[in-house]
Amino acid sequence: MIWLTFRQFRTQALTALVILAAAAIAFLITGLHLRHTFTADLASCGAQNDCSDVLNQLRYTYDSAFNLTQLLVTAAPALIGIFWGAPLIGRELESGTHQLAWNQSVTRTRWLAVKLVGVGAASIATAGLLSYLLTWWAGPLDQINGDRFGAMTFSTRDIVPLAYAAFAFALGTTAGLLLRRTVPAMAVTLAVFIGIQILVPTTIRPNLLPSTSVTFPINQATTSQANGIYGTAGNFRFQGLGVSQGAWVLSGTPVENSSGQVVYMNSYPGCFPGPGAGGAPNKKPGFDRISQIGACLAQDNLHQSITYQPASRYWQLQWIETGIFAALAAALSGFCFWMIRRRQN
Amino acid sequence: MSAILHAQALGKRYGRRQALAECTLQIPPGHVVGLVGPNGAGKTTLLKIACGMLAPTAGEIEVLGEQPAADPAQLARVGYVAQDTPTYPGLSVADHLKLGAKMNPRWDAKLAQARIEQLDLYPKQKAGKLSGGQRAQLALTVAVAKRPELLILDEPVASLDPLARRSFLRHLMESVAENNTSVILSSHLVSDLERVCDYLIVLVSSRVQLAGETEDLLAQHHRIVCTRRKETDLPSGLEVIRAEQTDRQSTFIVRGESEIPAGDWSAEHLDLEDLVLTYMERAADPGHRGTTHPTGDAR
Repeated sequence: MIWLTFRQFRTQALTALVILAAAAIAFLITGLHLRHTFTADLASCGAQNDCSDVLNQLRYTYDSAFNLTQLLVTAAPALIGIFWGAPLIGRELESGTHQLAWNQSVTRTRWLAVKLVGVGAASIATAGLLSYLLTWWAGPLDQINGDRFGAMTFSTRDIVPLAYAAFAFALGTTAGLLLRRTVPAMAVTLAVFIGIQILVPTTIRPNLLPSTSVTFPINQATTSQANGIYGTAGNFRFQGLGVSQGAWVLSGTPVENSSGQVVYMNSYPGCFPGPGAGGAPNKKPGFDRISQIGACLAQDNLHQSITYQPASRYWQLQWIETGIFAALAAALSGFCFWMIRRRQN
Repeated sequence: MSAILHAQALGKRYGRRQALAECTLQIPPGHVVGLVGPNGAGKTTLLKIACGMLAPTAGEIEVLGEQPAADPAQLARVGYVAQDTPTYPGLSVADHLKLGAKMNPRWDAKLAQARIEQLDLYPKQKAGKLSGGQRAQLALTVAVAKRPELLILDEPVASLDPLARRSFLRHLMESVAENNTSVILSSHLVSDLERVCDYLIVLVSSRVQLAGETEDLLAQHHRIVCTRRKETDLPSGLEVIRAEQTDRQSTFIVRGESEIPAGDWSAEHLDLEDLVLTYMERAADPGHRGTTHPTGDAR
């Protein structure tokens, strides 16, 4: 049975190996270069105590490669579900070959177990290797970005991709078993997986752990840490306030007055200098100017609130999300065993 | 030795459609069993239940004294070749033999090898590139070389041309004789089964119409042709399977344990094809048994 599973999986496994080898080489070459540049940049700018320009330049240089590699690792579980999961049983049922396989001296439970464990392990290993490569490769860039909770960043680093691969594989297998045809099973797998990739970062992941809210007054002390002022339609908010570096800001209010009403820039013409004062959104004054604005606004008793997940919860969230999708993969596999024992084929 | 197949009020229902009903059979060991019936009669359903691919919705079944496909040991005792003889298109002939060897404890590699050579199959050929006849032979080889006690074949020759049909059945009978295997094979054509079967089951409209050893069945059935008369005027102890009346003449197909006594009639045995067709027509007839049928078989 192990031999048959491997023999049937051989072509797909070879294809994956070629892709993985190519990816590993590309990651290794560009990754070493990236790290070298990063270290050199830090050494050169460290002396002048101002690294932001140099690091932004580095980030800009690797921007397209960064997005591309994240996309590859995001797509890997989907591809595994489509090309390894969906045909696993679907193709057998479609072509009737399950009737050959199930009438050898091997029970269908064992048949399914070997297939699920063998190809499932390959799925997890593939995703694990890709995740490891990307996490290593993008390390310096992640450090510059300070955004480990970004929708695509979080789901393509560390352990979460392994669970996604297991889940997508089980999803494809189940779809193949239920639909009994390969191509529709592939389509359903893709649709469900994309749905989940949209649903999880937007509505599920932020609520996995209770979030923290802070409200802070607007004055010179608080705004001195801000790295910008942003606003839409005349309102405004200070960016990068009140939370430690790397926290995942889920939501926030614009600056409000003591009765909880949103206030507008043009109400404080004295505090926003310059020709665009009060009217232009996305103003980015210099750092010294932001705290001046804060000082100017301090007398008006204004405040701003944000809701966030602290940076320290990164690994906790990684484990929870991994656990959820591992459990879903196990549940789908269990369902496959139950279906296959019902003998309706 | 236990019965090849023992079924008690076996039934299978797909939603509202009854595929098999009230099927009661007791097939003694050591037979080559022909399962005949028109398309959609329930032959495939019965065979799939027997090899454990399907679970029945009513009744009980034992194959070689055990539940079908209960464990690896039972799976090893029963060989099954499904309709359209599925094989893995991407795997070569040699791969299929290796598959059989890896997945069956009693695999007979010598037998498999000999059959492949005898059939002139090229071991490196992909199964997807074989002709229908070659594929059927390959599927049969995998089923035979696992050395089952019972071989179940679902319409194995349906897709084959007459020459391939004959060669397939000859090879089947050779390996069956060598290994003393029991066989159940189905077909919608009696002529396929005539030469190979010594036990016959006629299945029509999801019900068993007739079952028994071919020799006995042929001995028990007669066609009586006489001047027009009623069924009740026939000798006693005869069951009338079909009656056909014209203005001047009556034709009866009857079943009885004894020979037909001499009288003002002519009595003759039926051949297997006529016998099967008689039961198929009777089952298709809404009035069922004993009634006249104007367009019946008048041979």
